[in-house]
Amino acid sequence: MLRLIVTVLSRRLVSAIPTLLMLSLVVFVVLRLIPADPLAMMLPPNATPADAAVLRHQLGFDRPIITQFGIWLLNALHGDLGISIGFQQPVTALIGSTLPATLELCLSALLVSLLISVPGGVLAYAVTDRRGEFPVGLTVVLMQSVPSFLWALLLIAVLGVYLPILPFAGRVGDGVPMPHLTGFLLIDFLLKGEWGDWLGAVRHLVLPSLALAFGFAPLVIRVLRSSLLDQRGEAYVAVARLRGVSESRILWRHMLKNAALPALTMIGVQFGFLLGGALLVEMIFSFPGVGNLMIQAVRNNDLVLIQGIAIVFCVLMLLINAIVDTLYVILNPRLRKPS
Amino acid sequence: MMRTEFQSNTLQPTEPQSIGVRPMIDSESVLSLQGVTLTATLGAQPVSALRDLNFSLGRARVLGVVGESGAGKSMLARLISGLLPPGFDVTSGTMRFVGRDLLAMPTRQRRELLGRQIAFIPQEPLTALNPLWTIADTFNEHLTRLGVPASQRFDTALHLLESVQLATPAQMLRRYPHQLSGGQCQRVLIAMAFASEPALLIADEPTTALDVVTQTRVMRMLAEQQRQHATAVVLITHDLRLAAHVCDDVAVMYAGDMVEYGPARDVLDRPRHPYTRALKYATPDLTGPRRRLPVLKQQMPGLSALADLPGCRFAPRCPSADAACGHALQHRAAPNGHRVSCSAACEHGADTAELQAALAPPTPVDDARPVAELREASLTYYTRSGLFGQHKTGFDAVKPFSLKVYPGEFVGIVGESGSGKTSVARLLMGIEQPTEGRVLIAGADVTHGTAKQVRRAREQVQIIFQDPQSALNPRRSVERLLTQALEAAGLPAVDAAERRRRALALQSDVGLPADCVTRFPTQLSGGQKQRVNIGRALCAAPALIVADEIVSGLDVSVQAQILNLLLELGREHQIALLLISHDLSVVRYLCSRVLVMRRGEVVEQGPTEEVFSNPQHPYTRTLIEAVPSDDAGIPWPPVAAGEARAA
Amino acid sequence: MVDKSSSLPTLVSTASAPAGALARPAAKRGRRLRSVNLWLGAAIVLGVVLCAIFAPWLAPHDPLDQDLLHMLSPPAWMAGGDIAFPLGTDSLGRDVLSRLLYGSRIALTVAVVAALGAGVFGSLLAIVAGYFGGWVDRTISYLVDLWMSFPPVVLSLVLMVSLGVGIENVILSIVLVDWTRFCRVVRAEVMVVRQRDYVLAAQLMNFSHLRIMLREILPAALPLMITLFSLEMGVAITVEALLSFIGLSVPANVTAWGVMIADARISMHESMSGLLFPVLAIVITVLGCNLLGDGLRVALDPRMRTKGN
Repeated sequence: MLRLIVTVLSRRLVSAIPTLLMLSLVVFVVLRLIPADPLAMMLPPNATPADAAVLRHQLGFDRPIITQFGIWLLNALHGDLGISIGFQQPVTALIGSTLPATLELCLSALLVSLLISVPGGVLAYAVTDRRGEFPVGLTVVLMQSVPSFLWALLLIAVLGVYLPILPFAGRVGDGVPMPHLTGFLLIDFLLKGEWGDWLGAVRHLVLPSLALAFGFAPLVIRVLRSSLLDQRGEAYVAVARLRGVSESRILWRHMLKNAALPALTMIGVQFGFLLGGALLVEMIFSFPGVGNLMIQAVRNNDLVLIQGIAIVFCVLMLLINAIVDTLYVILNPRLRKPS
Repeated sequence: MMRTEFQSNTLQPTEPQSIGVRPMIDSESVLSLQGVTLTATLGAQPVSALRDLNFSLGRARVLGVVGESGAGKSMLARLISGLLPPGFDVTSGTMRFVGRDLLAMPTRQRRELLGRQIAFIPQEPLTALNPLWTIADTFNEHLTRLGVPASQRFDTALHLLESVQLATPAQMLRRYPHQLSGGQCQRVLIAMAFASEPALLIADEPTTALDVVTQTRVMRMLAEQQRQHATAVVLITHDLRLAAHVCDDVAVMYAGDMVEYGPARDVLDRPRHPYTRALKYATPDLTGPRRRLPVLKQQMPGLSALADLPGCRFAPRCPSADAACGHALQHRAAPNGHRVSCSAACEHGADTAELQAALAPPTPVDDARPVAELREASLTYYTRSGLFGQHKTGFDAVKPFSLKVYPGEFVGIVGESGSGKTSVARLLMGIEQPTEGRVLIAGADVTHGTAKQVRRAREQVQIIFQDPQSALNPRRSVERLLTQALEAAGLPAVDAAERRRRALALQSDVGLPADCVTRFPTQLSGGQKQRVNIGRALCAAPALIVADEIVSGLDVSVQAQILNLLLELGREHQIALLLISHDLSVVRYLCSRVLVMRRGEVVEQGPTEEVFSNPQHPYTRTLIEAVPSDDAGIPWPPVAAGEARAA
Repeated sequence: MVDKSSSLPTLVSTASAPAGALARPAAKRGRRLRSVNLWLGAAIVLGVVLCAIFAPWLAPHDPLDQDLLHMLSPPAWMAGGDIAFPLGTDSLGRDVLSRLLYGSRIALTVAVVAALGAGVFGSLLAIVAGYFGGWVDRTISYLVDLWMSFPPVVLSLVLMVSLGVGIENVILSIVLVDWTRFCRVVRAEVMVVRQRDYVLAAQLMNFSHLRIMLREILPAALPLMITLFSLEMGVAITVEALLSFIGLSVPANVTAWGVMIADARISMHESMSGLLFPVLAIVITVLGCNLLGDGLRVALDPRMRTKGN
């Protein structure tokens, strides 16, 4: 089994490399088509065209695109993604300091999502053709119609402002020192044994995770419900019933595992949704993650930073897809090679 | 209660077990129904989906329930299991299982019986097991329910698998269902069914989805298990002959009524109800004189139509119906416990003399030039494997062989699934290109031909597909479907009036009712859809029609209509037909020449009568023996000496 | 194996849970509620369309009119509210109701045009890919997979950076991002239809490829395309709101719901209503599109009706 996991995972990762190259090229080219002049922000107001030309040459913007890409690629392979125009710091460092926050947020959002959507999906399935179908169905569609950034605002309005129970800015309260171990606060505070700060970090995570989770859970609920309905008509379910297996056992032990497979695929496909939602949610909650960084980069027309972050997002997506594919192979015996 | 009864038994199938603590008197029946009526309240009016059922099944007896689809035989199984669909209720009668009233029993208690005292074997074995569980997992669940202690479960499972003659049972337990063949899956399901020594077993078409050779093996094994465990069996099937050979008693169902009931051999040898008779004679014989298949007009009424049939539901189709039949259902008794629901029954006993000789299968009109030819054509499918696709493995779908089809003759290709017979059809149609060899249509070589050549060739050869559902675009009217060939490129445009005329002509050619042209495929029955298929193929006036398993999805009585239609068309239009089928009796009825294929090669060929009456190749002999014969005296399944264990 | 056209269900097929007394009217209830989705969704969408078309007549004020005497006033039914401003005003004294109505114009324009564009482009490629198969399919599928390796929001942002602000660019960027979703889903459907024997029959009758795609494949895929179009409208409205929230969508003199939300967020502590109304507007409109899409899916595709029946 372990060998299988390693094989599938490595195969997916290896085939992801050309994709990554193509994507970086696409982003690179797209960003060079920009109408606004990125240099305008870096120059003092009384700069002459000659000064601009010097700066342009310094940054290498006057070379042909392919050369620029080649240089960028070479540097990227060495871990150097350039210097951010807006922050005047290395892009790699900027991303490195903000990525753990985003990952922590997304993972906890995923966890909350699953906690909501597995029972939710089973409920939505169980009420089909019953009295509860309309209210449950409407609730799910309603949830689905609210994008995560609006959830964020609503949650702040209700649980942050109207009933000030939870914090809605940043990762930690004011004046709390940041441990710089892994970057994952939930782990770092635990390692340092600082329970109060740990709890504080958790409290700061609640609203942003909920916002992301509420945006993502309805999708999972819907696909779970529909694949459970698919399973309901399968022969093995009827045969199990004829063997006297109880309804609840059929649902939880037989159908759910089979229904999980299409749900897993969908989670992989829609994970981009979650990552994308993180951008705005971080911005609204002043959460110091990569998404927030991206928004600032976009506002500043900071091409170098945008390029770097975009590539990091692509890497994340490809990684997630590889993991989902591997999980799928583990769960579905039909995909394994016959022994 | 039942649980204690079970736990007192140990699973040692070598000795016959007694069922339960309460001693069973032989005359006490395992399952008895009296006056049971199942009413469906789906539309405005309630209809009786099952009407006034009466029978009694004794211990270790086998009852065959025979009927076409829609007859209610599966509904009977659902009735016994207590898993009725919404809207169906039992409105009268009693049903007893070993003396206990099933209908009065609370649901919970009734469910307790399932899998223990009442077992089921489903129709499609490959999908009947959870695809994500190993066989061991499924056994584990079942044996846990039966109360087998954890330490003994593995050994019990092994033992059960051995008893159904599965080789390497330990390996089998570790496998997933998709790694097993249909026959192996069915054996596993049979093993699980008999694990609890059930008093009653319901087998719903257990071998229909299996190929013919596996069918005989599985039926034989099922009969053995039944004898060993002394289980009463209700065998549901659409095959009257199979039931007559394997069962003690047979009940024939039609539209929810039990129209005939009696000892199996009696019902087969001397069918008394006109429907049973039609059912018996609607399947062509494999041996003996070729007699014309009697045609029953229309088809079995569906649920919604039953409200208008208060009396005998077969009356609208019955050749000997009178005015009284439509009002009330009459019952008569014959010797040997043979019952029939028909007034005219006793007068028409055995009347084979009435049946006429059939039209002879068409023979070649012109011996000189074949309309289609394969010269040493072969077809190999390649798959790539390995990390970079460097390993190429070939699968020989068709090994090199030659075939000539002459104008006007009907040729048949028989074989089981995987024999390559469909690939031969695809080669002739140009859907696949031969790996080696040549394909000639009307004398012109079209192997790897130009588009123009291919187009011209396709005008000569038309195909009728197996699945009429998939073959007709549901958004086109019948008229447009029938005359679809007229829209082809390169033909002069046809105006609407001409098109309608052609459509009507084709419609009457294939025997469709007059108003069909304006309907859509979803409004037609399976038989009617197949006729539209045939009509569409005829529209192009081809020289050869390739028919790929065109009757295998149809009910027997509808099948008879299509077969007779094909014979008439062959005679009128002198079209050649290449019939591909797994059903030998159909091929015998239609074709003058036959080829027997196995695993991509032709093992035997020749004139149909010769090949079937005097088969030379052992495989042909196996195929022929696997068909239950008309004569209830010849045993079926055939006794096989030293049969190898199913690996 | 045996003719199922007029048959009662077999023992094992479509096995539903054992029936209780409630289950019998449930099948009818199921059908009725699914058409409720359709009508409710259609009603909501129609309502928003009417608001958009008749905004100049329905709106009590010009959406850009600033009344500095009435900044952040609450809705008319609350204390301190003024009937002249039924839903209150924002931080610059502009009437919320009028801004909502004019904002619906932007939302709907983007929704319809972008969804149409993504739908046509994506479906076209899907039909071509699914029908021809082979290298055509492989190329297009590779492109789709490549595109979908981007989180959609990130891709939209990158495109907006390079295209510049403006409604046309918002529409363009939505089309360029979402065509892949259409392509993938419609392609799956096309591949199913492609396997049907009647397509093979049409090919064997020597019909041209174009004719087969138009006559046999397109009509079969059309119901799915219509459903996706409706759902895509909801997505487009969301993306536009998102972009105008960040400030990348419309110029300052145009009213959009996202802009309203961004403004109201700053003064959230004082006036919650200014935030809630545009949020409700977006949610209700997207809800309407989703309900409509679901209702259409069930109404147009007979297979879907068996689910939950």
